[in-house]
Amino acid sequence: MENTTMSSDFAGSLAGRSHLESRNINVWFGQRHVLADVSLTFIENSVTALIGPSGCGKSTFIRTLNRMHELIPNAGLAGEVLLDGENIYTPETDPVDVRLRVGMVFQKPNPFPTMTIRGNVLSGLRLSGKSAKNEDDLVEECLTRSSLWNEVKDRLDAPAGSLSGGQQQRLCIGRSLALKPSILLMDEPCSALDPGSTLRIEDTIRELSHSMTIVIVTHNMQQAQRIADQTAFFLANESQPGHVVEFGLTKDLFTVPNDPRTEDYVNGRFG
Amino acid sequence: MSDNLTRVDLKAAKIRREDRVFFGIARTAAMFSLATVLLIFVYLAYRSQNTFRTQGFSFITGSTWDSNVGTYQLAPMLIGSLVIALIALVIAIPSSIAVAYFIEFMAPLRVKKIATTIVDLLAAMPSIIIGLWGMYVFSPAAEGWAKLLNKHLSFIPIFENTTGNFLRSPFIGGWILAIMMIPIITSVSREVMSRVDKELINAATALGANEFATARRVIVPTAKGGILGGILLGLGRGIGETIAILYTLNLIFEINILHPLENKGGAVASLIAARFGEAPDDEISALLAAGVVLFLLTLIVNMIASGIVQRAEKRMAS
Amino acid sequence: MTTYEFQARPDNATPWAVRSFRTTAILAIASIIPALLSYFIGSAFALPGAVTLLVVFLPIQIVAGVFATGITKGAHRIADSVLAIGISFAVFLVAILLGSLLFSVIKNGIGTLTTPFLTQNNVYISSTTSMEYGGAAHAVLGSVLIVGLTTIVTVPLGIAVAVFLTETDSKLTGLVRFITQSMSGLPSIVSGLFVYAAFVLTGIADQAGWLGALALMFLMLPTVSRMAEEVLKLVPGDIRNAALALGAPRRAAFMQVILPAARTGIITATLLGLARVIGETAPLIVTTIPGNETNANLFFGPISTLPTYIYKFVSDISETSQHRAWGAALELLIIVGILFAAARILGKQKVK
Repeated sequence: MENTTMSSDFAGSLAGRSHLESRNINVWFGQRHVLADVSLTFIENSVTALIGPSGCGKSTFIRTLNRMHELIPNAGLAGEVLLDGENIYTPETDPVDVRLRVGMVFQKPNPFPTMTIRGNVLSGLRLSGKSAKNEDDLVEECLTRSSLWNEVKDRLDAPAGSLSGGQQQRLCIGRSLALKPSILLMDEPCSALDPGSTLRIEDTIRELSHSMTIVIVTHNMQQAQRIADQTAFFLANESQPGHVVEFGLTKDLFTVPNDPRTEDYVNGRFG
Repeated sequence: MSDNLTRVDLKAAKIRREDRVFFGIARTAAMFSLATVLLIFVYLAYRSQNTFRTQGFSFITGSTWDSNVGTYQLAPMLIGSLVIALIALVIAIPSSIAVAYFIEFMAPLRVKKIATTIVDLLAAMPSIIIGLWGMYVFSPAAEGWAKLLNKHLSFIPIFENTTGNFLRSPFIGGWILAIMMIPIITSVSREVMSRVDKELINAATALGANEFATARRVIVPTAKGGILGGILLGLGRGIGETIAILYTLNLIFEINILHPLENKGGAVASLIAARFGEAPDDEISALLAAGVVLFLLTLIVNMIASGIVQRAEKRMAS
Repeated sequence: MTTYEFQARPDNATPWAVRSFRTTAILAIASIIPALLSYFIGSAFALPGAVTLLVVFLPIQIVAGVFATGITKGAHRIADSVLAIGISFAVFLVAILLGSLLFSVIKNGIGTLTTPFLTQNNVYISSTTSMEYGGAAHAVLGSVLIVGLTTIVTVPLGIAVAVFLTETDSKLTGLVRFITQSMSGLPSIVSGLFVYAAFVLTGIADQAGWLGALALMFLMLPTVSRMAEEVLKLVPGDIRNAALALGAPRRAAFMQVILPAARTGIITATLLGLARVIGETAPLIVTTIPGNETNANLFFGPISTLPTYIYKFVSDISETSQHRAWGAALELLIIVGILFAAARILGKQKVK
């Protein structure tokens, strides 16, 4: 499927095949309207950063992309999310299938404490009742791609809790990779980590983006500039629900923003 | 560290008089409690040693209890206690875990609140009420179930019944204990399940796990220690149960392990309640000895339980 | 620059809850067929309800659920439906059993709770006396007195032990904690038997209310001291240090700062301990003689309590005796319920 057109509101975006696309996503929690008309296109094998101050709905938005949003009590949603051109919110779609194709890494590293390092990498297979031909190869491949292999290859049977925070997060990335998703969602994956670990994860993200589409929520604007091809700036205030103020190529958004609010935010004047 | 530095001994710092009185009261209370408990231990040991000495090892292994000849052997009661506890666990463990899982993960919020309260209240249900209900309401119903099991499955030895009487059997006693244990185990298990990090459940869901896989591979392994602690807590209460069992089980001095549908059972605690009134002095000693055995049994179960729970809490906290 | 406005949530804002007609139809069939089928099988073979439910309906429903899920959601969701059906069954079974327990007490007891039953004692009442005479008021009084004595002694003692464990750094804390906690394994009948053997059989005292209170004390002390210790530990160290930094003596810091902060927790713990102890039967049948007269003297004479009152009437098969037993059971259940509710309400306030 060829779909290279961009939403008309936003100019100067990346060109390429649309891999994942949200169309007029609106979100409610109970009666509270928290996200309005978010329409973003994520291009195959690119990195998109979602930035904005706390409470602007960027983390809420990323959870609508793999149907994790609906697990929150009272959650509501309108709009469409197209994965390879097909809406994931039809009654016929099994959310499990969506989550197998769209992986997710969370804010706090959350490896399964009852499993070993190896067990964590294979947990996706075990949990979804799948099996791999050669599990050892898969473990090595995933941990190599998440840049953890060299540090843990001698202690794959150690409990996951024995790793440092940054290593745990890379383990969580490796765990998502085992299911061979084509898209990886990352919800502030570095916010709980020290600067050194953060840089290692950024390297990993750059590596991964050669072969998969990545959407990352981040508080850190330097991080967005270092890793993202395109960036969306979210904002919410008393009079407006969360929405996208500006969406475009990262270098444009940070150097020649169209909207004065974007300019204020990327220059650290609020948020 | 240099030896020349004068070290300040914090403990020797002057303690004010009123504080000395305050701590004095606390210390006295603690020592009083310590002394009382030790006194009970010493007294129980002192009064029961006569039985342990005269009956020897057969106090635990033999099957005769006769005050006329002064023979006191506990085996049928001890084994009876274990048999009904085992039956109770077989019933209570799966049901309690299922109910806890239902309350925590399946029920709507309002049902969850009400059910949690009711379960906690039932965990404090006086055993005399369970005994009353067990005798007049539950036993007749369970007698019917036992007869059906016997009628259709008597080719399996454990469902045989040569006595023709299905009331007051270990089967029914086991159910009664299960009904006492279920609220306790459910209450603890639900509490532990609620403390499983929601992030782990999210992680599993994001990895494409269905509910069954999440329950089996994430929730139960993480909550395992706490659930086991709850089971042992329930077991500890069950082993010491006296009155409800007295109403629903025949105490017979004949070892019965394999025929739980027959009206022959035993329970150490109930034996004490049934016998103490007419017991001559040497039988009182035997009953106290039985109490010591029972005490040791619950003590071991409780200690294992608190050890497991502490370890589980430590792990969940980290 | 586009502006966005808050919009009301539309009715169809949960696309994940939408079921296609086909799914709805299949699920409906999968719930109706097992019910009908087991009804017919049950009546054809004249099976009792419980058996039909467990041996006929459960397997059929599982098979139907597996098929329905397999068709509508795919094979990897079959385990979910088996889990859901299994759990629903277990919940159903437990709800019936525990529901029957609560329901029986209320149904059989409610008719008995008449004015005479609530206000009179059991003097001159035989198993054939009409329900218009006699009651359990003396038993309620006995219960309140005995449990009251237990509480008055145990709670301060338990708190003092907890203070010793949390506020001092004595070498004995480990031993004291271990020994008092090991008491929690003391079976209630053994506690009663100990008091009976040590006081009654030795001739030191006759069976009386205070011996019952003593037996209950051994059962309540470990609970109270452990809970008080936990509550005291929860008081933030900052508060403690702040008071001490202001120059308060340790006693004043404890009485004026720590204890008030821990008060609701301790009251909650006490109420829960009371709810447990007030229903204890085994120690009381050994240490007290359930009398018929109203007796407010804890140190002399027969004294009845609700549990021993029930105990006395349960074994009597006359109809009125059973009514009296159920009535007293309901009274006991109500008292436990009130204590429990009070603890709940206080416990919630603590969170605020």
